[in-house]
Amino acid sequence: MESFVSTGLIGVSLGVQYALLALGFTLIFGILGVVNFSHGGFYVLGGYVAYASVHYLGAPYPLAVVLAVLASGILGYLFELFLLERVVEDHLSTLMLTLGLFLVMSTGILVTFGPESPQFTFPVTGTWRYGNYYLPKENLIVLSVCVVTIGAVYLLMYKTDFGRALRALADDRRVAAAQGIRPRLLFPLAFALATALAGLTGALVTPILCLAPHLADPVLATSFLIVILGGLGSVGGATLAAFIVGMVEAYSSVYLGGSKGALALFVFVLIMLVIRPSGLFGQEVHGA
Amino acid sequence: MTDRFRSFVRFCGAAELTSIGILVLAFGIPLLSSSPFLVSLVTQILIAIPAAFSVYVMLRMDLMTFAVPAFMAMGAYSAAIVGLRAGITDTIVLTALSFAVPALVALPLGALVLRLRGVYFVLVTFLLSQITQLLLFETPKLTGGSNGLAGMPATTLFGVALEDNRAVLFLAIALALLAAAITMVLTRYYRQHFAAIKENQILAESLGLVVWHYKMLGFAVAAGLAGIAGFSLVNMLLTAHPSSFSAMSSVDYIAYTIVGGAGSMFGPIVGSALLVTANNMFSNRGEYSPGFFGLLIIIVVLAMKDGIVGTAIKLAQRYRGRSRRIVLTPTQIPLQPAAAAEQTPVADQTVER
Repeated sequence: MESFVSTGLIGVSLGVQYALLALGFTLIFGILGVVNFSHGGFYVLGGYVAYASVHYLGAPYPLAVVLAVLASGILGYLFELFLLERVVEDHLSTLMLTLGLFLVMSTGILVTFGPESPQFTFPVTGTWRYGNYYLPKENLIVLSVCVVTIGAVYLLMYKTDFGRALRALADDRRVAAAQGIRPRLLFPLAFALATALAGLTGALVTPILCLAPHLADPVLATSFLIVILGGLGSVGGATLAAFIVGMVEAYSSVYLGGSKGALALFVFVLIMLVIRPSGLFGQEVHGA
Repeated sequence: MTDRFRSFVRFCGAAELTSIGILVLAFGIPLLSSSPFLVSLVTQILIAIPAAFSVYVMLRMDLMTFAVPAFMAMGAYSAAIVGLRAGITDTIVLTALSFAVPALVALPLGALVLRLRGVYFVLVTFLLSQITQLLLFETPKLTGGSNGLAGMPATTLFGVALEDNRAVLFLAIALALLAAAITMVLTRYYRQHFAAIKENQILAESLGLVVWHYKMLGFAVAAGLAGIAGFSLVNMLLTAHPSSFSAMSSVDYIAYTIVGGAGSMFGPIVGSALLVTANNMFSNRGEYSPGFFGLLIIIVVLAMKDGIVGTAIKLAQRYRGRSRRIVLTPTQIPLQPAAAAEQTPVADQTVER
């Protein structure tokens, strides 16, 4: 029973991490219509910038996380402003561009830091116990930071003018532009927000799990999975789907072993994509 | 050039004939050089070519497919399993099998998947590749799981075993030629159907084109082409392992086609040749090659949307247009009735696509 609940707690913490990751991805798709193939790359970049700040600059861990967020955000902003803006109307071209960025980024990380997984540990260790249930302290801290961030993003999207402008662009770009909302100003900011979220997740999660250049691929696949399940463009859907995926992954890795849980999940999402391309909560699907 | 030759070229397509010509010329490579490095490099290029053709065929219908590794794996593993377990090594049988198995699997998959387009199609095919690779790992009894299937027997043609490097090269050339022939027949015969689907699918449907027939056909043939590439790969390595068919390797094949030029059948050949060679040149610094690919993709998408071959054709046409005298056709409305007597002959202005 205890292991069931503990696995559930791990599933919840995984779900929150995935939710933060998927949030950025679904924001980019909803607002810009861009499938960001480099999302996993920004995750890894965040992890490595945090690691480099701690080990080479001697910065304390919270500052390292902030630096990671800034680095991912700025890189995303510049990339969108100078490269993506030229082709933002053409979905397949933007896809290829983000793919190209991902390849360049992962080569850059590989060349700078080497293929080995560096020693990057969370500064707080220990386990929090409550009776027979336990959760590692690091998971708890990351969980609370993620929850706070998700809450902040929700507030941003639904309570501020900036968020309203972004949602208007997501709904109908032309009408929003006609109303005076400037995509050229807001798209880079939206992209930067999403990549900063990916970088934050990387900086927080990689010391707990593992930091290595090749992590970008599974992270990207998981983001795809969650965002398709929840509905491309839907923030609430992405959060819910992230929890589903987190729980399934936690329970299947403890009770089933191997990658059977991942396989079942992939097949389920494939079927879902075919039957209901808009996912659980997605908007009306264009071009499908 | 006689008129008959010209109309033959126009029927088959200049790019298509050039592609087939180049592939046939490849048979002469062992005569020019016996460097094993060159033979290996050309073999790798020839393995990539059918896979790039698979992407090319799908792009003719405006569908970007990330499922090439999945179908390559199907073709490769069916050849490997049949070779190892049933002892069948005849090349023709294996080729037919590696084309047929993915094509047949593509039929029900296509029924599910082809209703999606654009970004959603990309995601579904990416998931397909992920699922296939996971399935390869999770079914060790059939596919050898993470060990793969090693020690495949060499393929035989009419009883002669094709074992040495030159024989592998010749088989790779033959497979690439087969793929090119299939691609040529499909894309030339159904050129207008695919173009209508690509241009405006709803309009084509409203005009009476049964779109899903041609999409299924294209999808199945693209799957078969990828299967041939898989067989070619496994024939060179004599091992079938899931790591050769990762979902991200689909990016490589797409890059070959896009960088070469997705508008002409010669594009995938140019792209494969260029990028596989570049990949090999990075063999000492292998970690740089994905970055190089990425830079190329970015440059091509931003500056050379038609790829190398497409941009070259455009430049050639522009140059030809500048140096050719413009001659008026007789449909030009004459200013005065008298001017109709001095009409100039029909100009030869057809633009070859």
